[in-house]
Amino acid sequence: MKRSRWVGAGVLASALVLTSCSSGPAGVDAKQNSKAPLELWTRTTPGGPGEQGALKLAAAFEKATGYKVEVTAIFDDFETKLQQRAAQKKLPDIVMNDVTQLGAMHSQGLLREIDLDRIKDSGQIIGQGLDSGKSVDGKQYGLPYSAQASALLIRKDWRQKLKLDVPQNWDDFAAMAKAFTTQDPDGDGKKNTAGLAAPLSTKRGYASWYFSNFLWAAGGDFIAEAGKGTYKPAMTSEASVKAMQWFRDLGCKDKAIQPGAVTMDTPPTNETFEAGRTGMFVVGPYLLPRFDETLGKDKYEVVPMPKGPKDATVLAEGGSVYLMAGSDNQAGQDAFAGFAVSAEGQKTGMAGATGYTVQLPVNKTVDVSQVRTDPRWKTYAQAYEDSGRYAPSIPNWTPVRQATADTVNALMADCGLNTEAKLGELDKQLADILKEQGIAAS
Amino acid sequence: MSLDQAEQAALPAAGSAPRKPGRKGGAVTGRPGRSRRSGRWWTPWLFLAPALLLFLYFKFIPMASALTMSFQEVQPYLGNKWVGTENYATVLQSHGFREAAWHTVVLAAGQTAGSMALGLALALLMEGQSRRLGFVRSAAFLPVVVPIAVVAELWRIMYHPTEDGMLNSLLGLVGLGPSGFINDPDTSMASIMLTGIWRGAPYDMMIILAGLTSVDRGLYEAAKVDGANRRQRVWHVTVPGLRSVFSILFILAAIRGLRVFTEVFLLTNGGPDGSTEVVMTLIYKLGLEQNRLGVGAAGAVLLFVATLILTVVVQLLRRRESK
Repeated sequence: MKRSRWVGAGVLASALVLTSCSSGPAGVDAKQNSKAPLELWTRTTPGGPGEQGALKLAAAFEKATGYKVEVTAIFDDFETKLQQRAAQKKLPDIVMNDVTQLGAMHSQGLLREIDLDRIKDSGQIIGQGLDSGKSVDGKQYGLPYSAQASALLIRKDWRQKLKLDVPQNWDDFAAMAKAFTTQDPDGDGKKNTAGLAAPLSTKRGYASWYFSNFLWAAGGDFIAEAGKGTYKPAMTSEASVKAMQWFRDLGCKDKAIQPGAVTMDTPPTNETFEAGRTGMFVVGPYLLPRFDETLGKDKYEVVPMPKGPKDATVLAEGGSVYLMAGSDNQAGQDAFAGFAVSAEGQKTGMAGATGYTVQLPVNKTVDVSQVRTDPRWKTYAQAYEDSGRYAPSIPNWTPVRQATADTVNALMADCGLNTEAKLGELDKQLADILKEQGIAAS
Repeated sequence: MSLDQAEQAALPAAGSAPRKPGRKGGAVTGRPGRSRRSGRWWTPWLFLAPALLLFLYFKFIPMASALTMSFQEVQPYLGNKWVGTENYATVLQSHGFREAAWHTVVLAAGQTAGSMALGLALALLMEGQSRRLGFVRSAAFLPVVVPIAVVAELWRIMYHPTEDGMLNSLLGLVGLGPSGFINDPDTSMASIMLTGIWRGAPYDMMIILAGLTSVDRGLYEAAKVDGANRRQRVWHVTVPGLRSVFSILFILAAIRGLRVFTEVFLLTNGGPDGSTEVVMTLIYKLGLEQNRLGVGAAGAVLLFVATLILTVVVQLLRRRESK
């Protein structure tokens, strides 16, 4: 019995030895080989139109430059799978992923710095797009290949029935939301409509993500830059408080936001718009194909967000090309990044009714209407160029978004709460988060 | 439960039978003059090997590495860094951890008690051999079989917070409501609990039904002869007879309760206003959404310890009671 116990321990120990991975020095420059195929990972559904788009882009790149690319599409647990590769010290050469992933990947040491002099046409990238690829220390770690911004979708038939104009400022906006809620715009005799569709769940920080369109237009901010790459919390600033109060009134006083919004993420919110239960929705262009099909192109219109107390700033988002550390083909990496942002690469990325990788071009010399004749795309492109604003590239944006989402969600769910007190608590939380990330302004 | 155990026990044996070492073992037993108990010492290990290997790779090693990770800042590419108990401090001192722990206990207690009470009631109603009962029992068992994602979506529709919502229109018939259900911080916890009970009760019912068959019929008759009414028979014969079933159900339900995640994540994700935040959703936010695996691991270890303590305490109480 005793011996058998030892054997058990022996088996366990040897298995542990076998499985423990050898850890070599990280970040060592690999021997370069410009013939080596580039491994490209893109965060999109395998087999879906996104993968088709990436394959198309890769094929055009191969034809133009002679480098070889192998595309892998991964959607679920993309970050976890990247971590697994990182543990093996064998990262893919190129990753195409959300622009907000920069901080997380950079702080894990997964990215290599991009030398803009080696990137062809890097001078043609739209300013705020280029900035979105900079880390907090101002170095370039990502290049945007696709952008999107928010615009306002309005039920055109409802607006015309109630004889309203397209909103030009926040008062118009609130008045329209209220009218859509109270004046039975669908004419079925029931009070079953709401003005604004809003995903205000805390899930993945949706509440914060949606509210940023209003917060920034009011001149408020989640965290404000305080020089030298440091930040300070800004949710108790006058503009932030006013923006929150205005948005809260929309839900609490006017009841102009769809019921149940505080537990809805995007899918159920999209459904309220296409089922004719809400009449306004602030979203990116990626939903147009879907709404064209379910609701009908003639039923709704796309207009720029009306000007808020400060301006018409809207949330800008998009995808970036990241060049991963430890690649044995850095010349190939640079060439791909250069191609993706070039006029040719951008046009290739936009082509097709579905299966495109580029929503809005990031290259100044490319006009979206050259490729897409639908004028609604022009509205979006204009919103991005004039008013698009990215979330700041701090080491980890997720905790900031989570904390603000929790508070926005709370204030929208419980109309009895005190706005200022709750935002004061939030600021304290944000201060802790900034301190933990080492970017708090002293 | 017993069926599960039987299956698990059968698996490794079936797996090892056709293997070569098994045949060697056969040769050993065939040798004459060998005492009955002193076979080769490794024979039992050989039979256990397939199962042990699977457990080793898919349970013990991951558990060990989770324990290590909980003391590290996990950054695979740069190399993990030891940070002592910092991850634990992050979880324990995080905003709202105490509320989340309390919510978890409330939810676990409520769901456990509710499921067991409803499960017992259903089991008593559906006890018997009749064929029609079999159909009704299957129907009642359906909530357990339906994927939780579907359950959550269905309940979200039923919980629609306006007057034309399904449950609200029922409430309207008796002059109540409309309630915000999961959208109102005051009712969100109770709503999630109700969903959990609806889903958990049939499972408990099945186990209680199995337990009911072991209650001696003679006791019912004896109680009847002594003049006990129906309620007294349930309370003084059935419930004591099911004691061991209840304690197993309690442990299972409590573990399930502490780990509650999916229904909360899908219905409210801890909102509104943090009113339904439980430990698992908090760990998910701190560890996985923020991509800090060390913190996630620390949270998982804490939860494991809590579950372990609970199980041990229940076992000790049982043992003392049976003495």
